[in-house]
Amino acid sequence: MKLRLAVLWIAVGIPLAWGVFKTLQNAMKLFQ
Amino acid sequence: MSSTFFDRESTIAGPGFNRFMVPPAALAVHLCIGQAYAFSTFNLPLTKLIGITKSAPGDWNLTELGWIFSIAILFLGSAAAVFGRWVERVGPRKSMFVAALCFGGGFLVSAVGIHLHQLWIIYLGYGVLGGCGLGIGYISPVSTLIKWFPDRPGMATGMAIMGFGGGAFIAAPLSVLLMTHFKTATSNGVLETFVTMGVIYFMFMMIGVFSVRVPADDWKPAGWTAPAQPKKLVTTANVAVEAAWRTPQFWLLWVVLCMNVTAGIGVLGQASPMIQEMFPGRVSPAAAAGFVGLISLFNMIGRFFWASTSDYIGRRNTYMVFFLLGIALYAAVPTLGHIGSTALFVAAFCVILSMYGGGFATIPAYLRDMFGTYQVGAIHGRLLTAWSVAGVLGPVLVNYIRQYQIDNGVPKAQAYSITMYIMCGLLLVGFLCNFAMRAVDAKYYYQAPMTPGRHPS
Repeated sequence: MKLRLAVLWIAVGIPLAWGVFKTLQNAMKLFQ
Repeated sequence: MSSTFFDRESTIAGPGFNRFMVPPAALAVHLCIGQAYAFSTFNLPLTKLIGITKSAPGDWNLTELGWIFSIAILFLGSAAAVFGRWVERVGPRKSMFVAALCFGGGFLVSAVGIHLHQLWIIYLGYGVLGGCGLGIGYISPVSTLIKWFPDRPGMATGMAIMGFGGGAFIAAPLSVLLMTHFKTATSNGVLETFVTMGVIYFMFMMIGVFSVRVPADDWKPAGWTAPAQPKKLVTTANVAVEAAWRTPQFWLLWVVLCMNVTAGIGVLGQASPMIQEMFPGRVSPAAAAGFVGLISLFNMIGRFFWASTSDYIGRRNTYMVFFLLGIALYAAVPTLGHIGSTALFVAAFCVILSMYGGGFATIPAYLRDMFGTYQVGAIHGRLLTAWSVAGVLGPVLVNYIRQYQIDNGVPKAQAYSITMYIMCGLLLVGFLCNFAMRAVDAKYYYQAPMTPGRHPS
């Protein structure tokens, strides 16, 4: 159960983290 | 895979099931349907399907293409309102599966429209079919999450609805990446991108379909007991959807959501030109794009932060903060523009947009407090019609009033002042409705005998 839980959170966490990273990269232009 | 796999009875969790498996199941759906916020990424490439590098005669224009998103949002609200009771009856697995079919299928039908260069097929595909997927997908996990987290309903629904805000962050760079990958001398890659995204989104939403579970009727979190003395404005009774929307509380909440969304959505759509026009020569288009990204991030974070906070300070108090702080910040914006403080301007809008997202994410828990858990998803679905109305009202207010001001000789830097004060007025209306909120009259309580799958719990 713990492994399934970890896999599920990783499955949704990776794309979300990638999207947030890309957005932050874009947002940095505001401070340049 | 038998048909019973999708039935509610097949999704009842066994003993020892970890309830933290359910939020990622909900996120798997919301992260996909949140793509709708990033649909504008396709607008320019769709105007160059014939000309490839530039628009050619026969290519669609932006005005025609703008209807795709509008139809999708209209059908989001309509589908959530119409199919809410069905979603409650069949459970989250079947409704998530239908949402995946509609949303993924919407991309594939639209791809046919791109191939044949028939815009009405895209209206039908992404707009109608995809819009139904958006509406059904949006409400699918809400009541399930509330039942799994009776101790923290705001946090649970906030997590899922945060995914809707986060979906745009994934979709925008993913769309650009795919279009670049599929681009050739004879195609700008939009057709192939639509097909790929339809398949990817369908498969990703299936993660939610396979992993979602509903709790047994008598389930409670370990060590948790319902408070003997419920908080003020938190009911222990249940109200059915048909009775709920006849209560004044439903319409007060409808106005509360509509005003909160109207105030935020207009600014979100106009953020880039607004910051450039209010600070002429000081904010470049690239920096303005960064501003849009930053406030979108706060829109997402606010969904989790404010909904979780509402578990501690109460739903009514949370909206009081949204309205009072919102009025103060909107009223300050013209002054911030006048004194030329970009940093304070950006900070003000980050807070405003966090409360816009927070309004979406806190409303399901507010509905649960007022109407109980029975059919809360269906009631939420009907309330989302306020979003459809705000989706038209917000941009109209911001865009048309700005244009009217400019046409009457007001400098662009000051053209937003009136709009900001109108937003303050809208928030004041929301504040008064929230202030008027009282417990639902007992005559509306659900008292019919329980039937399988529709238990008040």
